[in-house]
Amino acid sequence: MMSDVRRQRRLEQTVIFLGLLALSLIWLTPFATVVLSAIRGQGDLLARGVFSLPKKIAWGNFAEAWSTGDFSIYFRNSLLLIAMKVPLGIFIAALAAYPLAKLRFRFSGAIFIFFLAGLAVPVQVTLQPLLVMMKQLGIANSLFALVPPYVAFGLPFQIFVLRGFFRLIPSELLEAARLDGASEWTAFLRVMLPLSVPALATLCIIDVLATWNEFLIALVLISAKESRTVPVGLLQFQGEYSSQYTLLMAGILISIVPVIAIFIFLQRYFVAGLTAGAVKG
Amino acid sequence: MSEITLGARRPVIVRRRRWRIPGAAIPYLFLAPATLWYAAFLVYPMLQSLYVSFFDWDGLSPSMTFVGLENYINIFAVDDVARLALWNNILWTLGALVLPTLFGLLLALALNRRAPASTLFRTIFYSPAVLPLVAVGLIWAWMYNPHFGVVNVTLKAVGLRSWANGWLSDYTMALPATFVTFIWSHVGFPMIFYLAGLQAISKEYYEAATIDGANAFQRFRHVTMPGLAETHVIVLSLAVINGFKVFDLVYTMTYGGPGRSTQVLGTWMYFQTFQYYHAGYGSALAWVIAAIVLVIAIPYIRRMSRG
Amino acid sequence: MRGLRIFAATALAGLVAFSAGAEAKDTLRLMTVFDAPTVKLWEPVLAAYNAANPDIEVKMETVAGSGAAVYPDVLRTSMASGDPPDVFFMWGGEIAGPFIKAGQVEPLDAYYEKYGWDKVVAPWTIDRITRDGHKYGVPFHARGMGLWYRVDLFEKYGLSEPKTYADLANICATFKKDGIYCASFGGKFGWQTMRLLDYFTETTCGPEEHDKLNTLQSSWNQPCVVAAYDRMAQWVKDGWLVPDFLNVAPNDARMAVYSGDAAMVFEGGWFEGVLKSDEQPMENFKFFLPPTDHTPVRYSAFPEQWMIPTSSKHKDQAAAFINWMTIPDTQKQYPEAFTASATIGVESDCTVAPRDCEWKKLLTSDSATYPPTDQAFTKELIDGFFEVQDGVVAGKIAPADAAAQMQAKAEAWKAKQKS
Repeated sequence: MMSDVRRQRRLEQTVIFLGLLALSLIWLTPFATVVLSAIRGQGDLLARGVFSLPKKIAWGNFAEAWSTGDFSIYFRNSLLLIAMKVPLGIFIAALAAYPLAKLRFRFSGAIFIFFLAGLAVPVQVTLQPLLVMMKQLGIANSLFALVPPYVAFGLPFQIFVLRGFFRLIPSELLEAARLDGASEWTAFLRVMLPLSVPALATLCIIDVLATWNEFLIALVLISAKESRTVPVGLLQFQGEYSSQYTLLMAGILISIVPVIAIFIFLQRYFVAGLTAGAVKG
Repeated sequence: MSEITLGARRPVIVRRRRWRIPGAAIPYLFLAPATLWYAAFLVYPMLQSLYVSFFDWDGLSPSMTFVGLENYINIFAVDDVARLALWNNILWTLGALVLPTLFGLLLALALNRRAPASTLFRTIFYSPAVLPLVAVGLIWAWMYNPHFGVVNVTLKAVGLRSWANGWLSDYTMALPATFVTFIWSHVGFPMIFYLAGLQAISKEYYEAATIDGANAFQRFRHVTMPGLAETHVIVLSLAVINGFKVFDLVYTMTYGGPGRSTQVLGTWMYFQTFQYYHAGYGSALAWVIAAIVLVIAIPYIRRMSRG
Repeated sequence: MRGLRIFAATALAGLVAFSAGAEAKDTLRLMTVFDAPTVKLWEPVLAAYNAANPDIEVKMETVAGSGAAVYPDVLRTSMASGDPPDVFFMWGGEIAGPFIKAGQVEPLDAYYEKYGWDKVVAPWTIDRITRDGHKYGVPFHARGMGLWYRVDLFEKYGLSEPKTYADLANICATFKKDGIYCASFGGKFGWQTMRLLDYFTETTCGPEEHDKLNTLQSSWNQPCVVAAYDRMAQWVKDGWLVPDFLNVAPNDARMAVYSGDAAMVFEGGWFEGVLKSDEQPMENFKFFLPPTDHTPVRYSAFPEQWMIPTSSKHKDQAAAFINWMTIPDTQKQYPEAFTASATIGVESDCTVAPRDCEWKKLLTSDSATYPPTDQAFTKELIDGFFEVQDGVVAGKIAPADAAAQMQAKAEAWKAKQKS
């Protein structure tokens, strides 16, 4: 009887695993194409076809993409930007989400809607006013010009998500902290944030990727090469009349390494979240 | 874990507090930084575009002509492309509500366990999001290429020659083909939300349900789904909002073509503002997009997250 | 809150560094579409200028990207925000139109007199950048387009460069019979397909009528336009073109030719450089001007130019810098940076770049050209044109309807301009 159940479960697991395996192979096909295109010569790629196997492996593409593209500049800028933008943005979003989720006060509904409305805003029409503002602030054309709009455009989404997840944290835990004499600030910092680690990690992942890959604002607000970010830097491989596909792909591969690393690193907090959930119950 | 932390730090905090903030002000203090930042760098530029939307302006000249509501009237009364774009947005949004969402939920259910392979799979399904748009556009254009693309080559190889297609070059297939790319690149998004949501559901509920004799399906219906209510609101409302705002993927993959067949409101707004030099009209389109999104999403979010 | 404080501090530090860098000497901002390899070629050029002119520093900002995709958008935003460069790169004709109409571009007539540029660059390029009697730019590149073909494929089937449209049709029919596509096009963005349609219009309507069509002086709804659309439909229907190309990127269309599946591409003089960077055997590619059955045989050509924004604070220095870039003395020192130059008397090295050399001779002689339609029409109108063109290629619009629809779009556009 018991072994029947176990056998059935094992079968189930195997079927799921095989399904996932097949699906992930499909998911990786485009990636394989990126890799395949990054490690061969341009002539080989274009004449023999994108989906053929390389005649000769051209590892030199990576070094060439790095140096001709001045990638070190863009890499430094993008990483610096993430270091500035992500913690700042998520922290002030969490600050705002906390009262919206857990405190009762006048206009809370209206304020929530006010933030939600920001989700509907198409960024494209704000580019010009933003550039004028950054000029007035004296930071146009520097990396710092990107922080205000990036944080602002991230807020509605982050507040919306965090408010949702904060609501899942039982209010009794906060109540207990308050009874222990903790201020609202302490309750937020020592109870709410630690219990929301999975949600915060999720947001961090999304935010890091969105920041790393943002193109339009970075393109328009920054014209100096020294302040450009990776996605704008990739443009250089696309000339007026031709594209250096292989270098572009090599550049892309280089550019996704840190993001994948961050993703894998933050995944640990999903698991940490599992234990936190267990304690809570 | 958290209880221990609290207990250890409590005395220190009590001593440090020297003055009291009036209780009623506390929520507003929490909200202040976000509100100010958001008002300055998002609301203010958006209001400027609202102002521009009542003018005929090329986005370049020092002078602009006030036209009242004409831009808005033209969107609905004159502009055939805007109507087609709206229809495309509706189709796109309906698709986005169902396919990536369902897919993401299933993946999250399958991957919500502690196993080394789960981490790998999660990374794989989320990984398209790390690729910059230029790569997504290029690679999928190659895959869909009618002449050498891997999609047609595979179809022919497995005996489905009649399914081979012009894909992005075909008037009826271009939008669905772009949508397939969208599923590929966005499925990780609902997936990680559902993963985070699943972890907030206490294991005890499942244990209690099992003891009550609930089978897997019943546990899913009566424990998992209600537990994910908050996550559903997030995932579904974002699907609607982003469905009407969709821009980069369509712009990169089809450029609105062939003909105008894949124009969506977002791309049409961009064409009008930046390429046809109708900044006033483009701004009006942006506000129409925003209005549609708000009218659909806000009542839903409010109703679902009451209490 | 700590995060905020750190942010404020770093922001301040950045500000100080930023303003400190700006005050040293006058900076002349040069904005271009150059990609990484071109930027490398230009580094010594700018270094030489900066060394010779210690009071000024020319700094290049570049927004690359194929097919006029993002550059004009960035330029437009920078101008509208009052933060324009001092010298910028621009295509000819109507792509520059909106900037001029908005009063953002300085007329350079006085500088033309001062520096005598009319004598320095090819006259037809100056005609093309002149608008309402004023010269707003200085031609930099002169670009001509033709059909480039695989020499080996032509030899294999005993074909030679065509002298008439009938010859060309014959070549395509021959290739078709042997299972090779005659030509490969990338229909995404519309402008590559347009090159073929422009050529058909030149053959069916003739030079005079073609020019009138481009300036909307003649109706598009006329038999010769229908005939041009007819040819387009026929080329597609007979399988002379690699099929389903409407959303294939123009650069990707070349692959069919590289692999030998198609014989020709419609490209400009730049294709020699493309072949080099695409690592293809250059001696296997030659070009001809597609025969129009009219005299003179006109071909599609356009200039690219330097412009100065009205709001630049360094107009005189900008003009002096443009002059330095334009004169033969400078260009001869850096031949690789100045291929396809519009300047007369700068011969490219015919042993290094034989095709560029041929083009150069054509483009600076008195040969006759017509503008590509996307430089004759505003972007708004040309997108209507592309919509019709796509419809014809896809077989959704019959040639006769296409001509009528095109005329309707032209009239609607004209009406909009008046109001």
